[in-house]
Parts: sequence; structure tokens; C-alpha cells
Amino acid sequence: MTETLDALLSGFAIALTPTNLLWGFVGVTLGTAVGVLPGVGPALTVAMLLPLTVKLDPTGALIMFAGIYYGAMYGGSTTTILLNTPGESASIATALEGNKMAKRGRAGPALATAAIGSFVAGSISVVLLTLLAPIVVEVALRFSPADYFALMVFAFVTVAAVLGSSTVRGLTTLFIGLLLGLVGIDETTGQMRFAFGVPELLDGIDVVVLAVGLFAVGEALYGAAYQSRVKEKIERLSGSLMMTRDDWRRSWPAWLRATGIGFPFGTIPAGGAEIPTFLSYAVEKKFSKHPEEFGHGAIEGVAGPEAANNASSTGVLVPLLTLGIPTSATAAILLAAFQNYGIQPGPLLFQTQGALVWGLIASLYIGNVLLLILNLPLIGLWVKVLAIPKPWLYGGILIFATLGAYSLHQSVIDLVTLYVFGLLGFAMRRWGFPVAPAVIGLILGPLAETQFRRALSISQGDPSVFFTSPISASLLALTAALIVVPWIVRLSRRKTQPTA
Amino acid sequence: MRSAAGARTELVVAVGVLTLGLFALVTALSLPSSGGYSGIGPNAIPIAVASGLAVVGVWLLIEALTGGWRARTSDHPEERGEHAFHAPAFAWVTAGLFAQMALMHTAGFVLAAALLFACVARGFGSVRPVRDGTIGVVLGLAVFLFFVKFLNVGLPAGWLRPVLGGAGI
Repeated sequence: MTETLDALLSGFAIALTPTNLLWGFVGVTLGTAVGVLPGVGPALTVAMLLPLTVKLDPTGALIMFAGIYYGAMYGGSTTTILLNTPGESASIATALEGNKMAKRGRAGPALATAAIGSFVAGSISVVLLTLLAPIVVEVALRFSPADYFALMVFAFVTVAAVLGSSTVRGLTTLFIGLLLGLVGIDETTGQMRFAFGVPELLDGIDVVVLAVGLFAVGEALYGAAYQSRVKEKIERLSGSLMMTRDDWRRSWPAWLRATGIGFPFGTIPAGGAEIPTFLSYAVEKKFSKHPEEFGHGAIEGVAGPEAANNASSTGVLVPLLTLGIPTSATAAILLAAFQNYGIQPGPLLFQTQGALVWGLIASLYIGNVLLLILNLPLIGLWVKVLAIPKPWLYGGILIFATLGAYSLHQSVIDLVTLYVFGLLGFAMRRWGFPVAPAVIGLILGPLAETQFRRALSISQGDPSVFFTSPISASLLALTAALIVVPWIVRLSRRKTQPTA
Repeated sequence: MRSAAGARTELVVAVGVLTLGLFALVTALSLPSSGGYSGIGPNAIPIAVASGLAVVGVWLLIEALTGGWRARTSDHPEERGEHAFHAPAFAWVTAGLFAQMALMHTAGFVLAAALLFACVARGFGSVRPVRDGTIGVVLGLAVFLFFVKFLNVGLPAGWLRPVLGGAGI
């Protein structure tokens, strides 16, 4: 306990140096901006900035990336409330009540409860992260390669098959991501795989090109083809931002309940904030003394989901930092940022890179305070950002997207690959294939293969190692159950129904 | 309801995924299998991944042939809150990206970026190419100077080399 406190205090000493404070500020400001802007998300932004890691010191760069990551959660609520086009699935629940409040001229209190709720949930979650991380690290240090492999398989299946509307489409993009991750030289044996003699493929597919292609180019092609002629209505931010005494009374229990829902959901490898935000919405609807207001702008329906969203996004950092398991697309790209510096997140990170990881955690405390200031008194600025015309917004996005891909190797080949992945992203968006499993597969796949081969090396080729370790065996059994149980339920339901 | 075109697309996508899976499987099977202590070689995981892709390809095909994909995205743009496929918009964005690829190493980063910006803006319905191009030049120039002067990342100066001096590559 005191050890954790000492580590955290030394982390603050690192995070509070002027340079790192500046990187944190740049990160949360950029994060809020990309959260506000429709069509740009934190995964894309961090991916576009990844080539910069060559130029920046790791602590500063990672503090900036983390700032972008949770700054986007704050900014996203502004767009959802004022524009009613949720930028990401985690904001859909907020849109239900938030935009109704804005239409009734209550945009101010809606934005305020979202920002303050995000701050409360974010801050409590960072405290939980601080307390939980050392405990998880203790446990994780005992994990064998077989256990790690099983954990990664579990993460693959939850991200691809359990979340999202279609199991098979999630698995399709997961396997495409895994396949792309295999391209290049095999690290263990030096064998070329899926490179077909093309020299550009020997180093493998770069995550920047895949993520930026899928998210930015795919999104721009889709937006132009299907949305560019749709008129959008931005609700005006009129009246006071102040929440009434009644607003406060109704908001704070929702914030706390939502933190309790969101954080645990973030920590288990079932990434994504979609489930906890909807769960929080349902809970608030059930507990509310004003259930009749739901659907017409109930403040609890904004306070809860927004807080749950932030709590779960902080929770995602627990498996990322302590186990090296990313459970969302953004977390996968953050993992790639660590790898660019030759650092592998996991239990050893807390021993070998203690200063960096605790500096990063301390920066989250500071970042939440900065974001509260950025998102309440300065909200007018972000409303103006929201009003940037779409032609210029997407023109700008593509300049930065192509810049990110081009600056990897100063090569036009990367721009061609970028467009190919853009077409893939367009098709995936059009036919409802989720993007996140592809990105997670590309990044986590090679790590899973390494653990798999390491496990079999230790057991001298005996595959029973995956079933004799209790951790590995239970994780693999759980994974199998996640796929098989829904099938059995569906089949038995079909049997009980009389066939017409 | 699934339109005839939608049903055909589902079949095409499913066959495409299956073909990719089988192609990857054939490639994976040609990899060496010697694996030292672990007993598995560099071909093991590729075979597993390729087989997985082929299996989901078959799965997609079965769903497509038995009433269509489950929980599918609507074929009707208005149900998605969107308009019908607007081919010129798609083409303008594509043209901008290809123009940038073609011009990057001749005209240089700034001019290529400006043309990209103007084309994309046109695709999103802007009808003032001169204004858009000017904004594109200003944005491209700002990015160029920040990257080249501040971050020391090389970007091609191209035709603007006389103006930008020795900056860039």
C-alpha cells in the first residue's frame, strides 16, 4: 500500500515536470477536439501520430497519447448532445436523452452533467486503477506462457464474437487482422511468410497504415458516398451551463452507480464501452423517480452513460498496462506505441519501466482536472469546432491521414496500401463488419503466437500444457462456452418451437 | 427485407472471404514445419488462422444461402439515415488520393496536399474549388513547416523548393 503511494508520488514528480505537463495538455486538448469532431476518433488520432514516436521521448509521447485517449471520451459527449450523431457506439446511450435535453433548451445542464460526471467517474476510476494495478501485476507475474496464450485467445473471442451484432462478421475481421499480422519475417525462425517476395512486405503490415486506412480513408469514402448530402442540425447552446439543485441531486447518484458499472466492464477483456453505457442507462431508468421523463430528456440518462463511458475507458488501461492485453482498438494502438519504443506492457513493465508507467498513471489524475476545465468554461470553443464544415473537416483529416502513412518510410507505396485498406474499411462499414477486431488481431496476434510457441517449447511440444494449467484451462473453457452456449440456446429454442 | 442486389453482394463477400482463406491455407501449407524444441514450426499458426478464415467464409456463405446474413446492415440508405450511394462523391475522394500519390514526389507535399484537400472538399459537396485549394495550401504549408522545421521529419518540397528554400528532402 505505502509502496503504491510512494510509486504514485514519484509518478507525480515525473508527470508534473513542465515538458510532460505540456504533453499532457496537448494530449487532452487534441483528445477533446477529436472527440468533438465527427469522423475522427482517438484510435485514428493516435495512429496518425505514431510515426512521431521516433522523434519524441517515450514518457512525454505516451502521456500525450493517453491524454488523447480519455480526452476523446469527454469531447464525444458534446457532439452527441448537440448533434445527435453519436461518434462511437459508446455514445449511443447518451444520445437517447442528451439530444432531447438540448432540443428542450437544456443543452447547458446536459453538457455540465456529462463533463462533471466524466470527471467524477474518471477520477474514481484512476484511483481504482492505482490500487488494482499492483495487485493484478502480482498475479500476472505467475502467469506462464500457456496462461498468456489462453488469455489472449479469450480476449480475441470476446472482442470479435461476443461484442457487436454478428459473431461471424466479428470473427471474419479478427481472422483478417491475424492474417495481416503474420505477413513478414517470422521472428523465431527468420522464415518469410505471406510476403510473396515483395520487399515492402518483409517488415510486415504497419499498424499505422491499417488503422489509418480503415478509420480515416474508409470513413471518408463512406461519408462522401452515403452521408455528404445529409443536412445536420446542430442544437444551439443557449442559456446557462449551471445545473440546478435538482439536477445535482439527480446526477450524483447516477455518476457513482455508473462508475461501479463501467470500471469492472473495462477491466475484463470484453472491451468497448457499449455494454456498460447501455447497462447504466437501463439502471438509471429503473431507479429514477421520474421514469416518465426518460425518452424526453432525463438528466440521469446523460449522467449515467457518460460516467460509465469514462469509467470503463480507464478500466481498459488495467489489462493493457498490467497484462499487455488491449481490449479496444485504441488500446491496441496504444500498445503499438509502447512497442515502438521497444517496451512491452505487462507485469514486468511495473518493474523495468516503473517511472514511465507511474508517470503515466499520475498524468491521468492531472488530465481529468485539465479536461474538466477544458470542457466546462471553454465549452463555447468546442461548439465552434463542431461547426467546421464537413468538406474542410474531411479534407483536413485526409491530409493528416496520408501524412501519417507517408512519413513512415517516405514512400508512396504506403499511400497505395493506405487506399487499399481504405476500400476495405469502406466495405466493412457498409456491410456491418466491425473494425476493432482487425486492429486488435494485427497487434495482439504476433504476441499470441510468440506465447504459444514459447509454451510448447517449455513443454517440449506437449500440447496438454494448455489444459493442465488451471488458469489456461479455465480461460479456454470459458472461451469455448462463449461461442458454444449461444448456439445451444438458439438450437434448443428452435426445437421447442413447433415447426410450421 | 433483403434486396436481390443485397443477396448477391452477400454471396460475393462470402465467396471472397472463403477464397482468401483457401489461398492463405495453400500458402501456409507450403511453409516449412520444422520447429525445434516446441515441435511446431512457422507454419502452425498460419495454417490455423487461414483455416479459421476459410471456416468463417463457409459460415458467411451458409448464412447468405439460408435467408441472408443475421443482424444485417440495411440495404436501404434511408433506413440508415443516409442517402443513396453518391458515385461522384466517392470518385472525387478517390481522385484526390490518387492525385496526391502521383504528385507527392514531383510537385511536393504542400501542393499534393492542397489538391487532395480541394478534391475531398468537392466530394463532400463544396462548390468553391479556388477557396478550398487556398485553404489546402495554407494547411499543407503549416503542416510542412511544423514537420520539417520543428520535428525534423523530411517531406518533399517539390516545385516549391525555390520558395521553401532547402527545407524538406
